[in-house]
Amino acid sequence: MQPTENVLEIRELVKDFPGVRAVNDVSFNIKRSTVHCLVGENGAGKSTLIKMLTGAYARTSGRILLNGEEYSPRSTRDARQRGISTLFQELNVVDQLTVEENLTLGLEDTTFGFLRKTDKINKMVSVMNSIEPSIKPRQQVSTLSVAQKQIVEIAKAVATESNIIIMDEPTAAISEGEIARLFTIIRKLRENNVTVIYISHRLDEIFELGDYVTVMRDGKHIDTKPVSQVRDRSELIKMMIGKTVFEQYTPRVEESKEPTLQVQHLSNHKLKDLSFDVHDGEIVGFYGLVGAGKTELARAIYGVDTYEGDIVFNGRKLQPSPDKAIAAGIALVPEERRSQGLFTILTIRANVPVMNMQKISRGGFIDGAQEREVAEKYVGKLRIASSSIEKEAAQLSGGNQQKVVLSKCLFADADLLMLDEPTRGVDVGAKSEIYAIIRQLAAEGKSILIFSSELPEIVNLCDTICLLYDGSMKAMLRNGPEIDSEKILHIVTGGE
Amino acid sequence: MNVETKLMQNKPAGSRMSNETFITLFMIGMLALVFGMATLAVPNFYLPQNMINLLTNNWFIIIVGIGVTFLLVTGNFDMSVGGVIALTGVLSVYFSQGANVSQNALANGLGLPYVVAIVLALLCAMGIGGINAFFVAFLKVPSIIVTLGTMMLARGIAQVVTQGAQRNTSLPDVFGLIGNMAVPATSIKISVLIMLVLVFVAFIFEKKMVPGRRTYLIGANSEAARLSGIKVTRHLTSLFILSALLAGITGILLASEFKAGVSNRATGYEFDALVVALLGGVSISGGRGSVLGMFVGAIILSVVTSASTGMLLSPDWQFILKGSVTFIAILAQRFALEHRKG
Repeated sequence: MQPTENVLEIRELVKDFPGVRAVNDVSFNIKRSTVHCLVGENGAGKSTLIKMLTGAYARTSGRILLNGEEYSPRSTRDARQRGISTLFQELNVVDQLTVEENLTLGLEDTTFGFLRKTDKINKMVSVMNSIEPSIKPRQQVSTLSVAQKQIVEIAKAVATESNIIIMDEPTAAISEGEIARLFTIIRKLRENNVTVIYISHRLDEIFELGDYVTVMRDGKHIDTKPVSQVRDRSELIKMMIGKTVFEQYTPRVEESKEPTLQVQHLSNHKLKDLSFDVHDGEIVGFYGLVGAGKTELARAIYGVDTYEGDIVFNGRKLQPSPDKAIAAGIALVPEERRSQGLFTILTIRANVPVMNMQKISRGGFIDGAQEREVAEKYVGKLRIASSSIEKEAAQLSGGNQQKVVLSKCLFADADLLMLDEPTRGVDVGAKSEIYAIIRQLAAEGKSILIFSSELPEIVNLCDTICLLYDGSMKAMLRNGPEIDSEKILHIVTGGE
Repeated sequence: MNVETKLMQNKPAGSRMSNETFITLFMIGMLALVFGMATLAVPNFYLPQNMINLLTNNWFIIIVGIGVTFLLVTGNFDMSVGGVIALTGVLSVYFSQGANVSQNALANGLGLPYVVAIVLALLCAMGIGGINAFFVAFLKVPSIIVTLGTMMLARGIAQVVTQGAQRNTSLPDVFGLIGNMAVPATSIKISVLIMLVLVFVAFIFEKKMVPGRRTYLIGANSEAARLSGIKVTRHLTSLFILSALLAGITGILLASEFKAGVSNRATGYEFDALVVALLGGVSISGGRGSVLGMFVGAIILSVVTSASTGMLLSPDWQFILKGSVTFIAILAQRFALEHRKG
């Protein structure tokens, strides 16, 4: 069979979710033995597209041709058999097993259910060796670094004769040296006729590595062209954000007074020497990509993670422990609402007062009437859609769950409220309600820190914008009409 | 019309009972069913004296069940309670036996006043609870592993102190008092009264008090509890020590009742306590359950035990009957909960 020039052809592909078209009439080709980059902001539709390629999602309409033949995988296993492997951000390795066992996981040869040692293992191991000799087959995977685990997965993909490998932000969690090593491997793969579909937010990598680049925005295909024909980063950024009109927000003028929160030379495993001040009534936004250190910063201030340096709040040095932070007047709306914020099997009534039980109890006894009153008050105030305060939090929609977490933090009566991804997974209506609440709190004189990977959210809400990249603060900007979103994207994607 | 509107408005506010109330009611229904069947199978099962016995037979399981229930609600097991009962009983005897009164080593104790002996024995029980807490709450070792270890540790010490048998001689008269005394003008034992008081206090604690609420929050989501300012480690430590203390109290009462410290006393009670808690609707994954439910569960177990004795089943068949009823009851409960409308 004559190999086609395009290894993949995507034709008028559409994916609908209830209420939203995540991928909207996308068509483009991927050439054989190239590194094809896929870029776009959060929510542009990249992940959905990838999930259709790997069989995790079924398409709504459209066609995909693999080597000129119709391709519609029913599962990731199916996709792998057709030669498409994926390196997800959440790596698919089992820490407790050895490298060798991981390589053959799911591909074991068995006789009557017993494992059999076969050539397959030897082949896997020799591929592994040719890529990265420093990884030993008998080594336990938990002892490997993230980058080494990726290499194990790549080796597995190569050994199973995948001719397309999809990599979803492989450099988000690995060091500079490891990135260089990964790039060498990717180039070697290309020489061996493997096509790599490469997704990254770090635009420099695209110029360094890519042959072609496809830009997506709001579920649509914007353009596909050879990287050599892209002038510079700013051209890419323009394609990514289009003519986004931000709902302009003019920050209030701050007179210089004593800051409420002073962070001085804060460092830990992720953060590099961060210093900044926050004043009463100020909304400070921290913007950066996945892995920039936003969540780590919030957790350090709240005392969940350890750190070096000083955090001074209302004139006192903070002790690193969440209960002390709450006592001092700080509350955190955590990133993962279901696992960190909410007691899903308990009722709304039981969730709301958790951070300030003293307020609804006398001498250790809970005042049931007051507890119900408080819950009713927040259900009304934040317009939580629920038939009763006795409903379990698990039964609420994402937006309403987030409002319950927010109620919890508001009831803590904090002077400083930190919100980590406050509107992730929240529908548009609830989003603007949450924004209104945040503005109202700031108007009442509370200080607010917002950690978000959505630029419109940051630009809409904040007085001051801090840009994080790889754990360090790259810029601190005053929000206003002159704020330049292209410049911001330039900085957080690693530009100077 | 007016009334109807009002009813409809009132409906959402509390019409739907909580899962916990649902399970407790379901298990009371189950109790009625088991009781009905027992009445048919066993003559005179419904006589008042037998009914009182059903309530009081299992007092020791109910007391240790309180601590076990609280810990289960936080998502932790306490398998050490049986061992702690034996240890505390044996130590209370050893501490109060006369010193140097006999040639027989098992008849010689420390000769301490009974009250001092009780306090010391309870402190030792709490020490076992402290060990559990240290490994589970501070070092994050799974509770089942730790408490199985301390179960054997506690029983092992009891066996060393009794040379693998029991101590029952040269005890002061006061030793046998509390375990055999009845509440004046009734035939109800003091131990049963203590059990009823403890259940009542535990019920108020879990439903009405802030620390009781923390137990549920930790069980529902311990990470969210920590991020909400709850001192999870400290709370778990208190509960492990409480559970050991309750087992200690049980051990002292049982030793007093029999005027003996027996090293293999209360073997298997940790499983009975677990079973009555599960029968009462306590969730094995934490966050759900109540002392009241556990109490109902204990009575169900008591009815089954009593009925199988009444039917003159051999002990082996009693075991099988108990096992089957327990299994079916717990399955029925889980099934009902999952298929609950709403």
